Amino acid sequence: MTVNNTIAHQRLILTGDRERFKELLRRRLIECGWRDQVRMLCRDAVKETEGNNVTLDTLVTRVTPRARALVPDTVKKELLQKIKTHLLTQKEH
Amino acid sequence: MSVQILSGLSLSDLNVRFYEFMKNENNAVDAASFIFDSLLEDVTTGFLFEAHHGLKTGLTELIEGEKEDEEPYNIVNSPECDVFGFSMLKKTPFDSNCSCPNCDRPVSATRFAPHLEKCMGMGRNSSRIASRRIASNSREPTSYAGLLSDDEDDADWAGASQPAERRKRRMKNNNSKKPKQMHNGNNKSNNGTNADANDGGATYETMTANEKKNLLLAICGVVSEHTKKLCTRSTRCPQHTEEQRRALRNSVLEPSTPESQTMGLTAEEAGSPPDSSPSSSCSSSSRKRERHRAPRKNKAKKDRNASPNGRD
Repeated sequence: MTVNNTIAHQRLILTGDRERFKELLRRRLIECGWRDQVRMLCRDAVKETEGNNVTLDTLVTRVTPRARALVPDTVKKELLQKIKTHLLTQKEH
Repeated sequence: MSVQILSGLSLSDLNVRFYEFMKNENNAVDAASFIFDSLLEDVTTGFLFEAHHGLKTGLTELIEGEKEDEEPYNIVNSPECDVFGFSMLKKTPFDSNCSCPNCDRPVSATRFAPHLEKCMGMGRNSSRIASRRIASNSREPTSYAGLLSDDEDDADWAGASQPAERRKRRMKNNNSKKPKQMHNGNNKSNNGTNADANDGGATYETMTANEKKNLLLAICGVVSEHTKKLCTRSTRCPQHTEEQRRALRNSVLEPSTPESQTMGLTAEEAGSPPDSSPSSSCSSSSRKRERHRAPRKNKAKKDRNASPNGRD
């Protein structure tokens, strides 16, 4: 099924709607304070590492899983719903 | 979760496969969650980039401000220390002794400035002495406010000025006694005019009698105590009193007459009457003319007196 998912994704990119959704998600995450939580996570990660030398890779590997878990359900549901309806309306043309 | 790009697939093919795939609504839900994951990853990475940038460039620290110290400051309450816990005994010998840069002696900080005043000769008293020295030096050069400065280098001018100077000095001696004898009543104004007259002598020194006369016809000419320069305003300038002008003209113009040495007494008498207006130099010049004549008459009388005696 991944191929089909990729097809849907690719079509979304081509139509330019992916950018729209990305922007929406970004705004929602900032609104609900998720970004600040991620910042705190980053700070903790910096404190944990010795020598004050934090690379972006260590930050990504440490923070990303926790950040994912922190995403509010409401935001996730809203986005999923919107993408789904978008895909289905596309079908009818 | 990498996003694959299917190559070799035309746009129409893509559309056809997409529509086929979307016929099933479950597929749509599946694709939506797939797309959401991809979006979330993008956004998270974006935020992490931001955070990393802030950490590396110091922006985060600037925005958040300084972190507070974990340990709170405790006020130390013991007799030998101050509130910060530093010992009081240590402090005094360290801070209060500075060594004098001039004599290398250790001096208590509270006495350092007075010591420097004495040691290096700086401070109020010595500056007064220095300023007095400067003032006495600056009185020597004969500069009179840039007036007639073109003639300074002239040989004739210098030659002419020398005898005048000599006369001047003689007259100064006479003048210094004169005003005190004249006005004993108002000592205050007397002192002021006296100083002016003496200074005026210093600046008028190099001028001939005619020059002085012409100059005093045009300007007020009173010499200021501070700048030692002549007042170049009109003869009715409000800054100086008539008395000052009169005194100056008396002291400057009269000594230049050649008979001044012998006419000391008559000059005083001529200067004393208040009705002789000093601002107009006509009167002063006429006075001089009278003086010129007077001695001749006297001489003539003497001659006459002598001749009969000789004859007799």
